[in-house]
Amino acid sequence: MKLTLIAYKNLLRKKTRTALTVLGIALSAWVLASLLGFNKGYEWALNRDIDNMGFQVLLTAKGCPYEAATLMLKGGTGLRYLKESLVQGVSQNPEVEEVTPMLMAAVFDPNKGESGGLSAFLGVDPESFPRLKGFLEFKKGGWFKDLEAREAVMGYEAAELEQREVGDAYLIPEKNLEVKVVGILKRTGTQDDGTIFLPVKTVQDAFGKKGLITGLGIKVHKGADVDKLTDRLYDLPDVQVVSMAQVKNTIVNLLSSAKIMVFSIAVIAIIIAMVGVINTILMSVFERFQELGILKSMGAMPSDVFKLVWAETLFLCLAGSSLGVLLALGLSHGTELLIRRLLPYAPTGGLVQIDWRLAAGTVGAITAAGLLSGLYPAWRAARVRPLDAIRSEAE
Amino acid sequence: MRTVCLALSLLLLPHRLFAAVGCDLNDPDRDVARLFPGSTGYKTDYLSIKDRGGAALLARVESRLGDKFQGLYETMDVPYTVYTVMKGQDVLGYIHGVNQKGTYGGIQVFLALDPTGVIKGFYFQKLTSRFGKQLRSPEFGRQFIGLSLKDFPPAGYPDLKNPVPEAQKDFRAALRGVKKNLILMDEFVFGRTK
Amino acid sequence: MENILEARDLRRLYHRGSEEIAALDGVSLDIKKGEFVSFVGPSGSGKTTLVNILGCLDNPSSGTLRLDGQEIFAAGRRLGEGELTRIRRRVFGYVFQSFHLVPTLTVLENVLLPFAFYRKEGLAADGERLLGDLGLAARKDHLPGQLSGGEMQRVAVARALVNAPEILLADEPTGNLDTKRTGEIQEVLLEMNRKKNVTIVLVTHNPALAKAAQRVVELRDGKLA
Repeated sequence: MKLTLIAYKNLLRKKTRTALTVLGIALSAWVLASLLGFNKGYEWALNRDIDNMGFQVLLTAKGCPYEAATLMLKGGTGLRYLKESLVQGVSQNPEVEEVTPMLMAAVFDPNKGESGGLSAFLGVDPESFPRLKGFLEFKKGGWFKDLEAREAVMGYEAAELEQREVGDAYLIPEKNLEVKVVGILKRTGTQDDGTIFLPVKTVQDAFGKKGLITGLGIKVHKGADVDKLTDRLYDLPDVQVVSMAQVKNTIVNLLSSAKIMVFSIAVIAIIIAMVGVINTILMSVFERFQELGILKSMGAMPSDVFKLVWAETLFLCLAGSSLGVLLALGLSHGTELLIRRLLPYAPTGGLVQIDWRLAAGTVGAITAAGLLSGLYPAWRAARVRPLDAIRSEAE
Repeated sequence: MRTVCLALSLLLLPHRLFAAVGCDLNDPDRDVARLFPGSTGYKTDYLSIKDRGGAALLARVESRLGDKFQGLYETMDVPYTVYTVMKGQDVLGYIHGVNQKGTYGGIQVFLALDPTGVIKGFYFQKLTSRFGKQLRSPEFGRQFIGLSLKDFPPAGYPDLKNPVPEAQKDFRAALRGVKKNLILMDEFVFGRTK
Repeated sequence: MENILEARDLRRLYHRGSEEIAALDGVSLDIKKGEFVSFVGPSGSGKTTLVNILGCLDNPSSGTLRLDGQEIFAAGRRLGEGELTRIRRRVFGYVFQSFHLVPTLTVLENVLLPFAFYRKEGLAADGERLLGDLGLAARKDHLPGQLSGGEMQRVAVARALVNAPEILLADEPTGNLDTKRTGEIQEVLLEMNRKKNVTIVLVTHNPALAKAAQRVVELRDGKLA
């Protein structure tokens, strides 16, 4: 005869009650696992999106030049510029593996939409940019070879919108510059899908920004000390240094307050479930008062009775949390859709990632909470004296 | 704060500029009311050649167009949006747009039709061209009013004025867009594949 | 025959509000090994209180009790639950008015239930054989819900005997049974006493059952009558 068998069979005495308690625990486990999975998935997807930028550090001119609002309202005139000569100086830092200059430009296109809209272009260096962004694949065609070519590479969605194919012409409005489409990229799920790339010199000429760039992407050697580099770069005048790690942190910090709120909900869900557990076990202890007394008369020590009741709690929590984790796994797709609807920015890719470690952690956490909750009912049961139990029978 | 706007703009920027591709009205509520004053509401249907008849339908459309569907973006599964405009229980008319490849970019041609398929409204929702201003002029659009599919035989086009001789390609592209629009409406709504 | 239980001047006082009630008021007696003793008396006479103390289920307010020559209760000495349990499980088996079988365990599992907590070295009985002795071999895989009252009480008796106790304490064992079943239990007790030399301490309201014992002790108002 084993204590665990007795505990398990005790739970079967009131099947509905046991089932409802298990369900309550399962729901709280589902919430916890989904949240932990989302937390993991979001960070992973965010890292991936940012890593896909190809460079770890970005230099721009001081004054938040990429501010979307600026571009929208001022038609691109709000941009601030860096001198191209900066490239040389920066390249000489030992941590730097490669740099790539970029020039963003925008024009107001009166023919776009109802009353006109903005068209944005990114001037890039045909040598370094493709190297830094080696994972960009072409659906058709390839990069332009010439620094001053009147050629364009279009992101998948930009091409789709304009119905452009390789060999077609494209007109840059306002500047009336005609370029030839030489490449259309495959869908990446990032902002590159909507970008039109041109050689940087072509953009400089067309927009009268000779010798100027809006940003410098820096790729750092593997294992190099990025912080050291950024510290040195901070000293450059009129330059703003953004390390992708910082960007990541900023977004993560923005999210953290939301995360705290959401985790609070999970904690509350767990507390409610545990209250259910205490209620169930305590009720069953009170119902079994006489029986527990008789167990004592059979030779059960207080610690035996404690272990017996505690084991019942353990089984409830193991069953409930396992069920909850399975629910979370099964419904993770639905959970992901819900989250995408609620968040303003959601990186592409799997948002809710639940692996075995996370599953084990959830089961462990809830079981631990359950065991804690089960302490009082178990202690109460252990305290029962056979005499009290039997006397209550006689009354 | 700076890093924040940088971060967000880097990640969000192009999404804002390039909205979803398709041939929907930019603002259906506003556009329907403008094209059909007096309307009380509208129904939106999404149709494609693939769903409505597949290869056989495509062949029929091409023969009526006098031209083959070309390229990466003119395929059988492109979705077309048909807006059925209502006044109470009565159908006031239809609005339908198609994408057409232009010289320098995409052209979106929208037609407003009465219940019998006669054009009562025409406009370019999108037009990238050196001569966009002229092509978008009301005079150009007025030429289409009162025309219907019978004015666009398989072999050719009606005799309409091109306001900008230099924009011959885009002018012909606009005509092809209108013809394709009318043929699709005939197949989807008025004609056989109801 | 030597004494297995020796009680001297046992008293048990209860406080109800400001009142002090003596449930037991100075009881002294001896019980020999292998003896079958029944305790009778009206309700409130203190028989259950006495038997509870004899059975080490309760501490007396004063007086002494020796178990097998060893002093268990003495002046000023109160035993905790743990200590009492250790004494109890070595020496006693209990049968009560309500059978208290676990409804989700089979008959055999119920009989073997004490083994989850304690198993007497070498002496512990074979559960199945015990069931056979009590005429329940055929029911070993049934659930309590499928048994009659008498059968259930016999299972309880088997359970009480599985750790080979020296003393079987039965408090109103037939209180919930009809005449026929009462007779069955009576037979069982007699047999345990005769064949296995188990000392039996019985509390009962049933005069016929009481008379089956070797000695009948009557209590009145907390004292021996």
